[in-house]
Amino acid sequence: MRAGTAPIPALARFWADRPLAVKGLVVIVLPLAVLLGSLVSLYLASNAETRAEDDVRRAFAIQRDTYQVHALLAEAAAGVRGYVLTGEDRFLEPYRKAQEDVPVTIARLDSAIEDTIVRSHFEDLRLIERDKREGLREIVELAEGGMDTSGEVEPALTDNKLALDELRRSIDDIQQREAVVLDERRARVDDVRRGFLILTAVSALVGLLGSLSAVYLFSTGIVRRVRRLEGDAQALAKGERLTEMPEEADEVGRLAQRLVRASALLRAREDDLRASEERFRLVIERVRDYGIFALDPKGIVTSWNLGAERIKGWRAEDILGRHFSSFYPPETREYLPAQMLERARKSGSAEDEGWRIRKDGSRFWANVVITALRNEDGELQGFAKVTRDMTERRRSENALRTAREEAEAASRAKSEFLSRTSHELRTPLNAILGFGQLLEIDEEKFGKSHREAIGQITKAGRHLLALINDLLDISSIEAGGTDLKIEEIDLNELFDEIRALASPIVASAGLSFELSQPEPSVAVLADRRRVMQVLLNLVGNAAKYNREGTFVRLACRLRDTDVEVRVEDDGPGIPVDVAERLFTPFDRLGQQDRARVEGTGLGLALSKSLVESMGGRIGFEPLDQGSRFWFSLLRPDQARDTPAEEQPSAFEDTP
Amino acid sequence: MTAQLIDPSEITSRRILAIDDEQANVLLLRNLLEREGYSDIECLTDPGSALQTYIDFEPDLVLLDLMMPEVDGFQLLEAFGRYDRAEEFRPVLVLTADTTLQARRRALALGAKDFVAKPFDVIEVALRISNLLETRILYERLRKA
Repeated sequence: MRAGTAPIPALARFWADRPLAVKGLVVIVLPLAVLLGSLVSLYLASNAETRAEDDVRRAFAIQRDTYQVHALLAEAAAGVRGYVLTGEDRFLEPYRKAQEDVPVTIARLDSAIEDTIVRSHFEDLRLIERDKREGLREIVELAEGGMDTSGEVEPALTDNKLALDELRRSIDDIQQREAVVLDERRARVDDVRRGFLILTAVSALVGLLGSLSAVYLFSTGIVRRVRRLEGDAQALAKGERLTEMPEEADEVGRLAQRLVRASALLRAREDDLRASEERFRLVIERVRDYGIFALDPKGIVTSWNLGAERIKGWRAEDILGRHFSSFYPPETREYLPAQMLERARKSGSAEDEGWRIRKDGSRFWANVVITALRNEDGELQGFAKVTRDMTERRRSENALRTAREEAEAASRAKSEFLSRTSHELRTPLNAILGFGQLLEIDEEKFGKSHREAIGQITKAGRHLLALINDLLDISSIEAGGTDLKIEEIDLNELFDEIRALASPIVASAGLSFELSQPEPSVAVLADRRRVMQVLLNLVGNAAKYNREGTFVRLACRLRDTDVEVRVEDDGPGIPVDVAERLFTPFDRLGQQDRARVEGTGLGLALSKSLVESMGGRIGFEPLDQGSRFWFSLLRPDQARDTPAEEQPSAFEDTP
Repeated sequence: MTAQLIDPSEITSRRILAIDDEQANVLLLRNLLEREGYSDIECLTDPGSALQTYIDFEPDLVLLDLMMPEVDGFQLLEAFGRYDRAEEFRPVLVLTADTTLQARRRALALGAKDFVAKPFDVIEVALRISNLLETRILYERLRKA
């Protein structure tokens, strides 16, 4: 309720704050209470009227009784006179009746009289009446004496007559007073009646007012506010801000407050949205690397950002309102723009990469995405177009592709070269070794020195062949030209194989071959042929170079993700300072010492390449007595339910 | 076993055509074959004339190099295959320094009956030659029978 419309703000406020139930109760109870009040006053008024009428009746009774007293006494006096004159007893009848009835009537009057003035007159009356009756009794007694009483009776009668006059006067006084009282009472009855009429009129008026005020209260307290609430709700629906109202504590007031809060919330959200839209707009406007702009459904440019200006060279004021086919070079301008819009219309968006032109006519390689913009009803509103200048990217991609192609060509050329080299080296070697072999077959035909010479030729030839094989192997692995067949291999199988293959070599060197096999066996990931090649190389080396020791030992150590295979000997060992050169091609650690030992000098380098190509590592560490070469092989992914224990290299002789 | 079936002289009397662009290798082959007792040997270093010689000479066995200028061994294998009658068994032993798996597969697929990498072991080559000839002789006998 607006404070201004209420006559007394505090009261209005108090009223407005009452809950609807209280308001309803008041609206219903108010007219009812007025009606009840009217009924009560009606009842009281009718009671007062009845009482006033009783009073009037009593006044009449008093008048009648006073007359009766007078009449009785007057008759008694007349009778007594008659008796005195005649002596006849029958004249005493009224006297006796008066003696009997007057006290009764007096007693009735005594109880009936209320008015004080009347009572004083009545007291006079009583005295006079008593005197009168006394006087009459004296006269009667005198007359009964039978003597000539006329002397005495006459004055008594005269006195009596005077007393009667006095009585009559007294009665007249009473009558007069009583008449006054009666008039007063009648007037009071009239007053009561008038008051009753007024009361009734006032009650009706009050009832009417009560009803009117109830209607007014209902209207102001509820209807008007509900109507205002409706207005608020409509305003809210239109998104207008609602003005803050004084807080009213009833339901309608709370509802109004909620509406106001909802409107504030809505407004805050709208503000947020607008701010976010503004931010978004700014972001789009400021983006430099992407041309972002909008088209209407026909393809006319309707918005433009900094990136578009930078990429295409058009300023916003020049391009807005033009068709976007201006960006297409002549050869595609006729069909591609329409095609793009059609694709975007059909499938929501269309992407394209190709040449576009700038304002100055220069070309750039663009990546373009056109997205159809539709409203909630699915009507096409236009298109959003995002353009990226891919010229640089395209250039670098082309460069990259060229580089890759060149690298591939180089790799192919290398493989080709290796293959040719192999062929070209083998071909003359074939003649050398072939003829050498033929000469060896015929060696009994030659002398000792010739036989030695032939032996040197074939030996050098074989060495050369081994060198060529190893060298080509390494080159091929390093060029990635070797296809490895990595599979799961049981390590014990490998050990068994190497025992079979290498035992003769080790035995011929006069050494014992000790193998410490893992128990239970484990699987490794390796190319079987290549891992055997590595093992043979390491075991062969150990046998070749261990000319003072007693054994070659093969063991392994299990780790979480791989297995380390160890080849150990108790030979003279290798100094640590030269150990790092072990895996370098042709570095045979002091050729002078090792000259006696046959080898290409490529074995360890080849082994290193092979192990690494299988994802493992290879290394060397000196032992107190002898050397240890090791290499690792990956284990297949295994559930880690049992932590792989480090298996100690238990070097037990295996007979 | 076959030694009892076939007289060694019947093997060594067979015609052998050796084709290799490398003079030294041709010499080695001739030397080896003559030492083994073969007498009817034709050697070529010019692969261009190989098919004509193949037709004219009618060898029982061909020793063929693969990598040669102008016409390589694969082309010759194809040509021999086209020329030969389907029911004939005329073995070609490829001797090559091309040790790649691809070369081996391709040669065998084109009809070569055996494949030895250079540098080869002369004794091994001699044994393979006699084996292949034995097979040819047995094949001929089967057809006549």
